[in-house]
Amino acid sequence: MEKLSSDDSNRNVHGLSHGGKILLFTCKRDPAVSVRERSGLTFRSFYFEREGNAFLNATEGATVISRKPSAHVDIVTCKCAVDVQKRVKTAFVLVTKMSEKGSSFKYSLLALRSSHRLEPCIEFKLPYQMKGKVSILQGPTVMWSHDNSVSYTSPEAEGVRKIPIQMSKCLFGELPIQKGQLFALGLSEPLLANHSPTLGYLCEGGQAFDGSLVLPHPYICITQCMRVLTADRVDDVLRCTVVAATSNQQLVLFENGTVKDTCEVPFGQAEDIQMADTGRNGCLFVVSFNQGHVCAVWKETFQMASCWSDVDSAHVDDFLGCGTEQILLIFRNNGISSGPLEKFIITDLCGISYSVRLLQLLQAILIKLPVMDNTVSNKTPPKKTCFSVVKALKHRRQAYLLRKTHSSLFSDEESNDETPDDKLHETPALSSRPKIDKLWHRITEDCVAFSGLSLLTEPGQNSTPAVIQTRSQVFWLPARGPSTPTLSSPSPGFAFSEPAAKRSRQHIASDDFSAGRLAVTAVTKLAPLLTSGCVKCRAMLHYAEKAEAPLLQNPQIKTDEVREDLLSLLTVLDNWVLRIDSPDYSLGDIDGWIKRREGFKKIDVSPEYLLLDSPGSSAPMLLRWHQINPFQGDLSIHSSQLQMLQFLDSMLSYLPDSCFIQPVKRARSQSTAQKLACALEKERKERRAGHGETPDSGSAEDLVRCCREAWQQNVEKSRLRLNPVVDAGRYREMVQSISQVKMDSDLAQLNKLK
Amino acid sequence: MIQSASLLESWTQENNQLASGCKLSPHVFLLLCLSLSGIPPHLDRAQLELSVVYNTCVCFTAQSQFDEAELLLTQTAQRLLQIAGDDPGTSDPSVLWRTALKSVTGTALHRRVLSLLCLQWGVWLAKSRLTAVQDFQEMSLLEAQSGAVWNDCRAETKEKISNIPILVLDPRRLVDLLKICTAIVQGAERLTEGWSVLSALQAASASPAPRALIAYTHLLSGSCLAHMNRPQMALQCYRKALETDPRCVCALYQSALIYSRLENSQAEIQALRILHSMLLLPSTTEPAMAAGRLLSPSLFLCSQSLSSLLSVPSALSVLHSLALKCVIHSRVSEGVECYLDLLAALQSEDQHGVRVHAVVSTLPKLPRLYLEAGAALLMARRPADCMALCDEVIGSTLDLLPEKVLLEDPVARRVAGSGEVTEEAENGLVRLLWTAAAYLLQGHCYSQLKDWKQAVTHYTRCINLLVKVHYKDTDKDPEQGVDLCVLQRLKGLSLAGRGISFAQIDRLREALRDLQLSRQAHPEGVSARRWYGEVLWRLDRKQEAAACWEQTWSNPIPSLSEALPVYAQELQSGPLLDSAELHQKLQELGPT
Repeated sequence: MEKLSSDDSNRNVHGLSHGGKILLFTCKRDPAVSVRERSGLTFRSFYFEREGNAFLNATEGATVISRKPSAHVDIVTCKCAVDVQKRVKTAFVLVTKMSEKGSSFKYSLLALRSSHRLEPCIEFKLPYQMKGKVSILQGPTVMWSHDNSVSYTSPEAEGVRKIPIQMSKCLFGELPIQKGQLFALGLSEPLLANHSPTLGYLCEGGQAFDGSLVLPHPYICITQCMRVLTADRVDDVLRCTVVAATSNQQLVLFENGTVKDTCEVPFGQAEDIQMADTGRNGCLFVVSFNQGHVCAVWKETFQMASCWSDVDSAHVDDFLGCGTEQILLIFRNNGISSGPLEKFIITDLCGISYSVRLLQLLQAILIKLPVMDNTVSNKTPPKKTCFSVVKALKHRRQAYLLRKTHSSLFSDEESNDETPDDKLHETPALSSRPKIDKLWHRITEDCVAFSGLSLLTEPGQNSTPAVIQTRSQVFWLPARGPSTPTLSSPSPGFAFSEPAAKRSRQHIASDDFSAGRLAVTAVTKLAPLLTSGCVKCRAMLHYAEKAEAPLLQNPQIKTDEVREDLLSLLTVLDNWVLRIDSPDYSLGDIDGWIKRREGFKKIDVSPEYLLLDSPGSSAPMLLRWHQINPFQGDLSIHSSQLQMLQFLDSMLSYLPDSCFIQPVKRARSQSTAQKLACALEKERKERRAGHGETPDSGSAEDLVRCCREAWQQNVEKSRLRLNPVVDAGRYREMVQSISQVKMDSDLAQLNKLK
Repeated sequence: MIQSASLLESWTQENNQLASGCKLSPHVFLLLCLSLSGIPPHLDRAQLELSVVYNTCVCFTAQSQFDEAELLLTQTAQRLLQIAGDDPGTSDPSVLWRTALKSVTGTALHRRVLSLLCLQWGVWLAKSRLTAVQDFQEMSLLEAQSGAVWNDCRAETKEKISNIPILVLDPRRLVDLLKICTAIVQGAERLTEGWSVLSALQAASASPAPRALIAYTHLLSGSCLAHMNRPQMALQCYRKALETDPRCVCALYQSALIYSRLENSQAEIQALRILHSMLLLPSTTEPAMAAGRLLSPSLFLCSQSLSSLLSVPSALSVLHSLALKCVIHSRVSEGVECYLDLLAALQSEDQHGVRVHAVVSTLPKLPRLYLEAGAALLMARRPADCMALCDEVIGSTLDLLPEKVLLEDPVARRVAGSGEVTEEAENGLVRLLWTAAAYLLQGHCYSQLKDWKQAVTHYTRCINLLVKVHYKDTDKDPEQGVDLCVLQRLKGLSLAGRGISFAQIDRLREALRDLQLSRQAHPEGVSARRWYGEVLWRLDRKQEAAACWEQTWSNPIPSLSEALPVYAQELQSGPLLDSAELHQKLQELGPT
């Protein structure tokens, strides 16, 4: 800002504004006294005259810097700063004298005391030349950075002082606290483990602070110049607003170390930020850049107001004497120059504008930022209806449990009616016995699943079924082709080659179901079975041997055993059928999505089912996706409730936002099967009502029943033992009445005292 | 990094606040975006920065500010490369992105970079830079990786909700949308390519997408099949499109066109009828797709061939073609109703001063509509209504009729190139033909009412108008061909009508003369020939009459065609000669 016409090495002109005037300092070797080669500093001050629309010379003066003939004198910088001792704002100029040998550099700070007298203020010597940034701050203090450190000097400091912290990327400035605080900022070096990488240092107090309170860490490296607008100490914590120009062509406003606003400026390499108070119209930041660009940004809106190019220097002062500040832009004088203040603009961008040679100043570009409009509104996508789904599922689950406990008293005949010996010999079906083509069982967790194929129950057969609560289900098996090669031969009953007449006799209501085969499955808790007698224990040992079902090991196998596994799983696992309906967004490839998920495998026996049996999860999971149309489909989940919820949760992220998920009644084909299962159960109950009440002493069922009753009683007893002696409700009532009595007596006491 | 982390946190919070706010616009995010891009790129902030850029670009795209979005995307790619320390040395976006994607492979940023790349894809698609889109698809990284990577997205969000920047649009939805839009646009551009396009469209129809877009894939499959000369399969596809999205009226229109090509007039009329009633529903006129969604699919569907395929004529145009089809395919009473509806709609439109049908150009001029309606009324035996309509036409055009229309030799006209004069002449001719046709129809009306004198008067007026046109019948210019043909037809029909009327009032000489002239003007006229025979018979020139009749058996009165205005064709409205009677007469003559 202070450099004027640097191209002319002889006439090194620096300018500053002070008290509404422009001061120009020139360092020149006077041609008149060239014999003695005196080096001197001249200064001129100019004021603006509105009528003439020009700057007029007010005063002039000169001082001798060095009398040595060969000394090279140069102006480093000039600036207005507060002189703390005199309490006035004074213009200072820093000049350098290089010694003849060039080994040491002598610097002196001169103060313009009156309008025409330059007085030396500080003098110091450095073993190097100041090359980085140099500032004249209040005090006056000269502050500069050199070789990763910041040094300063002032009349009070007595010599050159160096900030005792090693920093890289130094920045420095002053905080506008009542007593000016000079500070330096930088990246601490070396980086400390649990410290902020940004370090600040207050020169006067000599204390370090967290630099990120001024500038956040990432900005230190890219900030080219900064200006602290306000600073305050609240509870010993620094709070400040800072504006900084970065190398990424931005002007950034920080408040207490966070980014408040950002403005893009068209140039990089900022050199100085000044602030102009234009009065009612607010404040402007005037940012000067290298290569003569200047940019003005409104402080309030933080938007660019204007920018100029080919500017030699920019100054802010009340040049017109009207009470508010204006920007003075002095443009470069490329042609034959008669004076340094030939081409200029004085403006506050609000009405005041004075300029010379307007036509030649067309290169002063005016860029206006587009007005941003935020009129268009867009609604956020609707929240997922996850919660309602969970609720619906819960409801369904409860209903299911109710049904389970109330309805099914279907006993598994084979486990009770037959002795284990009978079972081992597995005789071919007799006409007087229930017709079962095949019987199998699986144990999962604490449940055992039984299943019989082509189960026949004829009234009056056998004796009462035992009281074991089971869940029973009936599944339709698809009608199978003659015989697949994988089919094992020793299961003749399983093959679909029986004569039709025989089969029709076997099924109840077989007219309806003759087309397909039927599998009736039942599942029950293991515990009652275990307690129902030693006979069963032997069977249990037998079950234990076949813990792992082949299906879970390899779903690709196509054997009857695997088929049985599948049916058992379907019986054991809880089942939910969900209708997924997405009216305006097609569902896409749900099946493919499930298959892509980890661990899901297709079951070759029944390809519509997908099996998840990852080692991590506790129980296997079966899924079936039935797409009705691109926008609708049914998902059957056979798993534990938790697994189902987990799966649904992940599925929701895949499904479109607008979809609905509802539990549905079973599909029609299954509901027929359900009816059959109910019929079976009902029949069992009736038979039990008919026969069960009269115990046949000595029979196996009776034994089982007795054992179970005993066990039930035991369970009941233990439950009672665990229960508290007094019912909680009663206890609460008692305590309440006691306290009431107490309160009444207290009140009576009080009344008495009165 | 205590302080730096908090800066990151505050920015993340700001992003999340903005993203979950109800007012989404690019400028809301732009400031944050500026802040983030104002500092050197760093891996720690990359996740946030990419998310903010994503949000900003989604908003830009939503407001069709594609250039801004693209600029931001390119800058971001460059910053990504700065992190990686890569410099491809080019600003070609596809190279940039390829390098950027490679540099983040296997890191957490990969997913974010992919979603930005998708936005770039969207911009290319919106700007119809289909080759770039194709290049992108050939990168094919997306297909393989997107599914797997994005599946984990949700799990991650659950872990640390506060630290994850919220996105305004699920990137998977964006991919879904872009995939199907690309398939649709590419399909529309390459409809003629056959099976390859068809299979791509079929695949797209199974992908997750808004209903309307699924319907478009079926529609395009249909059009593709129609190009492949498989109209029945095309119809199936159109039906599927309609089933998928009932608002996809263009499918109905395309079906109507196919039916018309298959000459299945009944189905065509049905399709047009449904189309018209659907167009009258308020909801169908605007594509109500993606309401409430951030990105409308229409942003990406800006292909010329697609929009021509999706365009549907206005309700009134559809009503007109429906009316015309009905009349031509002998469903006269329905046609009359349609015409009356059409005229009523036009009239109410005029009264309200609103031209609702901006695409009115497909609709014929009003007098022609009146005349067509009149012809339909005449065919429906409502001569009084027909006459009223004709009066309207005559009233509006009679004052503007030229004294004489001279049509120049077309060759000479082309050489001279004097556009104005001929245009005026043409306009004059058109008006003259309208008025003449109105008189002709009135003549027909009177003859239907058996008011032969009035009929003769109106036929005469028609003839008097028609003889004002002078032209050289050297060769038929295709441009003027229709007008001249109509002129000849009108001459023939009016002379025939007058001849028949004369015959009815036993002025056989005049009748014979007119019918003879009619046969000269319009040799194909069947009723003129039959009546010529009849008049000859009555004049006791039986042999000649028989010869004349013999000729007419071979060609019955032709059914109406769409090539000419209905009123310039034989309407079978006048007195008919019983062909059985004619046969009998011939047989009587035979033995003698």
